[in-house]
Amino acid sequence: MNNEQTSSIDTTTEEYRDKWLKLSPVAIIYFAIQFIKNTASNFVYLIPALVVGYQKLADNIVSILIGVAGILVFIAVSALVKFYFYQYRITGQRAQIHSGVFQKKHIDLPFERIQNIRFEQPIYYRFTDHVCMLLDTAGSSKAEAKIIALPKSVAETLKQEILLFKSHTSDTESQTETEQQHDQETVLNTRSVRDLVIHGLASNRIWIVLGALAPFFNAISEQVIEGIESFGVDVEALMSSTQYAMWQYILVIASATFIIVALLALISVIGSVITFYDFRLTRSGDRYIRRNGLFTRHEVAMRLRRLQMIVYQQNWLDRLLQRVNLKFEQLNSSVERHSASTAGGKIMVPSVTLSEAEELARDAWPEHQIGSIKFHPISKRLMVRNALVSFWLLVGSAIVISYFGHYQLSAALIALFLTSLPFIALRWKRWGYASDDQFIYIRKGLIGVSYRCFPIHKVQQTSFYQSWFMRRFKLCSVGFVLACGGQSIPFIKETTGDALIDNTLYRVEALKKSWM
Amino acid sequence: MSTHSFSNETIENHDLAKAREQHFLPLSPAYVKVNLLCRLLICLIILVALVAVNWQPWFELPSPMQNAIPGLLIAIASLGFLLSVYGIIGDKVKGYALREHDLSYKSGVIFKSIISQPILRIQHVELKHGPIDRHVGLASLEVFSAGGAMHTFAIPGLPEEKARELRQYILEHGDIAANE
Repeated sequence: MNNEQTSSIDTTTEEYRDKWLKLSPVAIIYFAIQFIKNTASNFVYLIPALVVGYQKLADNIVSILIGVAGILVFIAVSALVKFYFYQYRITGQRAQIHSGVFQKKHIDLPFERIQNIRFEQPIYYRFTDHVCMLLDTAGSSKAEAKIIALPKSVAETLKQEILLFKSHTSDTESQTETEQQHDQETVLNTRSVRDLVIHGLASNRIWIVLGALAPFFNAISEQVIEGIESFGVDVEALMSSTQYAMWQYILVIASATFIIVALLALISVIGSVITFYDFRLTRSGDRYIRRNGLFTRHEVAMRLRRLQMIVYQQNWLDRLLQRVNLKFEQLNSSVERHSASTAGGKIMVPSVTLSEAEELARDAWPEHQIGSIKFHPISKRLMVRNALVSFWLLVGSAIVISYFGHYQLSAALIALFLTSLPFIALRWKRWGYASDDQFIYIRKGLIGVSYRCFPIHKVQQTSFYQSWFMRRFKLCSVGFVLACGGQSIPFIKETTGDALIDNTLYRVEALKKSWM
Repeated sequence: MSTHSFSNETIENHDLAKAREQHFLPLSPAYVKVNLLCRLLICLIILVALVAVNWQPWFELPSPMQNAIPGLLIAIASLGFLLSVYGIIGDKVKGYALREHDLSYKSGVIFKSIISQPILRIQHVELKHGPIDRHVGLASLEVFSAGGAMHTFAIPGLPEEKARELRQYILEHGDIAANE
């Protein structure tokens, strides 16, 4: 088998085989930037100190310049040394990497253990057309290998070879699949900048930023007032004087808020464009490939049979704009991967229209009915339960607090309880479930809404849950664990829950279909 | 092994086997006792520590704290008692069941739950026994699926012999071979 394979090797990769190789010199930049990034993330806490001590620093400008120069030299030297000690070798069936200056790291990865091959192209690699090749294994993230700079053409050929090798070693069934892989890639979806702007506007990141800033509002406003005063404007007098009408103040405050929100929205839009610029989702054979990024280009591939769940996610702005964020979820083995939408194996198609989402989902799972199936509501007892919990927590503590004489606080708590009620009702209204022969569908959300759909035969584990309260009303909650995480349906009829679980276990155990 | 005779053959006839109507086997009686002893011991340690702090000769506690100590002792003792009673009931309710194609584990007094794990989806099995478990011959069986560490299926408090048998049963199961 190996002979056959070596004969099929492209001449472009011949010089990359069976010997220890150094990276292209462009990798030095990579090491330097990586070093700066790591150090910066460790010393980010020092920034406020630097800002405060700015005046002092300005006095010693010479020593600072020397210090900065020293650091730059240190970075350059460390990048050079790292580059010098980094070696890799690709033989007929394994990838080996030796790296590390003081702490040596040896990675020896047989091709058959490679689960996923990804490419990353930072902006400074674009001029020389190099890429980082990431070889993921199914195991822990420590075992994953990264070949830091390869010319793109070589990386592509190596990828094909590794995939080819894998299919040769595994059974004949997947061989046909790989043959299909050599088919032309068909483009399933691209995102224009306009779509990305919509995504940036609709994604809730603005509100997260605002929320994070909330504790500092007081300090910020003081700073702002001080700043204004330094321009010779007496804010105090401005506020207390009677020469301006109330509506003028309101206008000023409203426009200030508007400017802040617009600014934050702009940041969000820029973030979205940077992350998803030139988004392309393509399919070749059973492989979905996502490419995106303005500065660093990301490339993620997913095999269709690895797909565990399709999610349509809409927050309130998406609902207004009639857009959907479509997610294809696959394995979620390591926790750190789900942090950023660009990292890891999840494929997200930002802000597609409903019909586009439908088309994409149908391309993956032709039989699913996520858009058309009728969802059953769950029991209204969920509302009652949540309202009771909210009542005892908020009104209960309000009573205790008013006993100690803090009437304002307790009034605020009661107001909070009253405002929580419509949300509790809305939460209930969003919940819904449905199932057909092959899939289970779940709808949930609060102001936004998400629709999830997963094949029953891919379930890993089921759970049935019933509290004393639920037992009295013959209700239960059920949970399904998938390789991409757990999903649950709360407060449904006991008989329905039993049927869902029994049917799921039956389908998993009797069909014996693979989940990946 | 007696549990092998459980059958859900009915699967073939589309008359679905009921996951909730299985015959659940209780955990080892030793597990209940060990758990009870552990709870009582922890409670006792806290009580002794409180008394020791109150009576130690080196420094004197501020008087509001001194006044609070008798009440605190009573509260902790009664809480410990209640938790112990609830713990006994809770441990006796726990149980597991084995069918041809899946394992189930039941627990909870007020909040009942039944978790079912198809053997087909099991990736690996572990036997775990801590120092106390080892002393009394107990083991817990942990079963990992692709669902991740958050959703590890575990049966605690099995007699070691039984746990080994279960592991063997799972490892030799036809479904696991089909998974490969």
